[in-house]
Amino acid sequence: MKEEPRHPVQINVKKCKGCVHCLAACPTKAIRVRDGKARIINELCIDCGECIRHCPQDAIDSHTTSFSDLNIFKYKVAIPATVLYGQFDNATLPNEILFALRRVGFDSVYELSTICELNNSAIDKYLHSHPKPRPFIASTCPVVVRLIQRRYPTLCNLIVPIEPPREIAAKILRANLPRVLKVSPQDIGIIHITPCPAKMVSINYPVSMEKSYLDGAISIRDIYKPIVQALRQSQEDTIMSHLFPETIFSGIGLGTALSGGETRGLVNHRTVAVSGIQDTIRVLNQVELGLLKDVDLLECTVCPDGCVGGPLAVENRFLAKSRILRLVNLMGERTVVDSSDMSVLYHKDFLSFRHPLKPVPTPPLDTNPVKAIRKAKRRNKIFKQLPGKNCGACGAPDCRTLADDIIRGLGVLGDCPFTEKEKK
Amino acid sequence: MTEETSFQQEYEIKGGDFSHGGEVSCEIKNLLKELGLNAQTVRRAAIASYEAEMNVIMYARECRVDLSVTPRKIQIVFEDKGPGIKNVKLAMNEGYSTATREMRELGFGAGMGLPNIKKNTDKFKITSKVGRGTRLEMTIMTNGHKP
Repeated sequence: MKEEPRHPVQINVKKCKGCVHCLAACPTKAIRVRDGKARIINELCIDCGECIRHCPQDAIDSHTTSFSDLNIFKYKVAIPATVLYGQFDNATLPNEILFALRRVGFDSVYELSTICELNNSAIDKYLHSHPKPRPFIASTCPVVVRLIQRRYPTLCNLIVPIEPPREIAAKILRANLPRVLKVSPQDIGIIHITPCPAKMVSINYPVSMEKSYLDGAISIRDIYKPIVQALRQSQEDTIMSHLFPETIFSGIGLGTALSGGETRGLVNHRTVAVSGIQDTIRVLNQVELGLLKDVDLLECTVCPDGCVGGPLAVENRFLAKSRILRLVNLMGERTVVDSSDMSVLYHKDFLSFRHPLKPVPTPPLDTNPVKAIRKAKRRNKIFKQLPGKNCGACGAPDCRTLADDIIRGLGVLGDCPFTEKEKK
Repeated sequence: MTEETSFQQEYEIKGGDFSHGGEVSCEIKNLLKELGLNAQTVRRAAIASYEAEMNVIMYARECRVDLSVTPRKIQIVFEDKGPGIKNVKLAMNEGYSTATREMRELGFGAGMGLPNIKKNTDKFKITSKVGRGTRLEMTIMTNGHKP
C-alpha cells in the first residue's frame, strides 16, 4: 500500500486569514477552517486547484518542482505543455519560446504537440477496436481521473487506458536519450512545464504505472519570468529560431491545450467535450445514471476552457486561448505523425496503462450497514437543526457538511454560531 | 432486535421540470453510496430511479418519492398524480412509448423506461389508474443477487 499522497496544494498559514472563499469553491468539500486557518483534508483533495483560483490572499501554494531541484541532474530536459505557447504576446512564436527555455538552463527542450497528436490517434484506434462500453472517458486530465476513482468508482473501466502525452513523451525520451546523448540514464532529468498542480501528484503517485517517466513538474508561474527575461536578452536566438526552425508543430496536437482539442482530432467518433469542475461533475453524474451511451468519447477537463485555464498559468485564459487558436489555424489540420509509427507503438503496448485503474472508494458513514443507517438518520436530525445559511462560520463549507462532520466525530453542533444563539 | 433499522427519506418531483431532471436520483445515489452499499447495487438503484424520475417529469404533474433503506434491501416508491397508463402490460414492452414528437426530439421516449426499471430491480410492481396517477414500487436487494 502506498501512503496517502502528499498534495502539492498546501495552505500558506502565514498568509491565510481564515475567510471562507476556498471552502465554498472546493468541489470535494475538502477544506475546513480550524483555529482561524484553512486546512485541507488530504483524503478528499483531488488537486484541482479551485482554491488557488478563489483565494483572495494568494495563501494557497502549489508545491511543484523548483528550478534549483534540477541541479541533481547533469542533463536537464524540458517538455513544456503546449499551453505555454499562449502565455506570451502574439509576436512570440513557439520556436522562440523553446529557444528561450534553453537559455533558462535546460540542455534540451522537446516539443509536445506531436506527441499530443500521437496520443490522439492512439485513442482513435482504441475507440475503433473497442465498440463497447460507452462512453469512454479521456485520461488526460489527472484531476478527472482522481475524481472518478473516488466519487465514481464504477466508471473506472470507462477511462481510455492510454497514457497522456506528457508521460508518453517522457517514456520515449527516457528510452532513447542515454543512447543519443551518450549520457548515463540517472544523469538525465526530464521535467514537465505545466499550468496544473495535479501533474505533480500524477508524477509522484501515478495511478496506472509503477513509476512516472517524469522527474518533476515546474509551474508556468515559476518559470514565466526567466523565460520573459531570456526572450528579451537574445535577439540572436530569435533570428536563429526563425531561420532554422527545428521543430514541426502539430495543429491537432496544439489544439489539445483547449477544451474540445482532443475531440477535434476524433472526427470519426461521436464526442462530447466538457470543461470546468462543476460541469464535469454534472456530466459524470449523468454517465453514472446510465446516460451518454451514444457518445464514443467524453473529454472532461476540470479547468475552465481546458488546460489553458489551469490555475498555475500566468496569462488570462481568454487571451491565451485566442493565441493558441491562432497557432492551430496557422498549422492547419495536416497530420504530422506517421500512422505506421503510431501503429508500431500501439501494438507494442508502449502507449497503454501498465496496470488498470483502481477505484479509491470514499469511506461510507460506517462499514457496518446498521450503524451507517443509524448515522444517516442522526445526520438528518442534526441537519434540520441547522439554519441552512451555508455561511461557513462553523468552519465547514455548508450546513450539510457540518452535519456530516458531526456524525463522523469531526465537529459539534456548537460550532454553528446560530444554534448557539438560540440556546442562550 | 426484531425491527430492522431502516432509513427513510422523502423527495418530490415536479412534472415538466426538465432542468432539474435527474437530481432526485442523483441524491438517492449519493446517499446509498454513503451508506456503504456496494457500487453495483447503487448503480442499479440509481438507473431505475432515474428512469422513474424522467417518466414523472415527462408525463405526470407531480410525484412523491419514498425511499427506504435497510441493510437487506432498498425500496423506492414513486407515487404520482398524472394521466396514468392505459395499458400497463403494453407499456412494459421494450420500444413501446406514448412520447410526443417534442419529447423524442429531446432524446426521450425510446420506450425503454419501464423495461429498464424492471431490468435493474429485483422486485417491481406497477399500478395505475387512468386520469389519477401511477404508483411504482421497486425493490433492490443489497446483497447483489436476485431474491
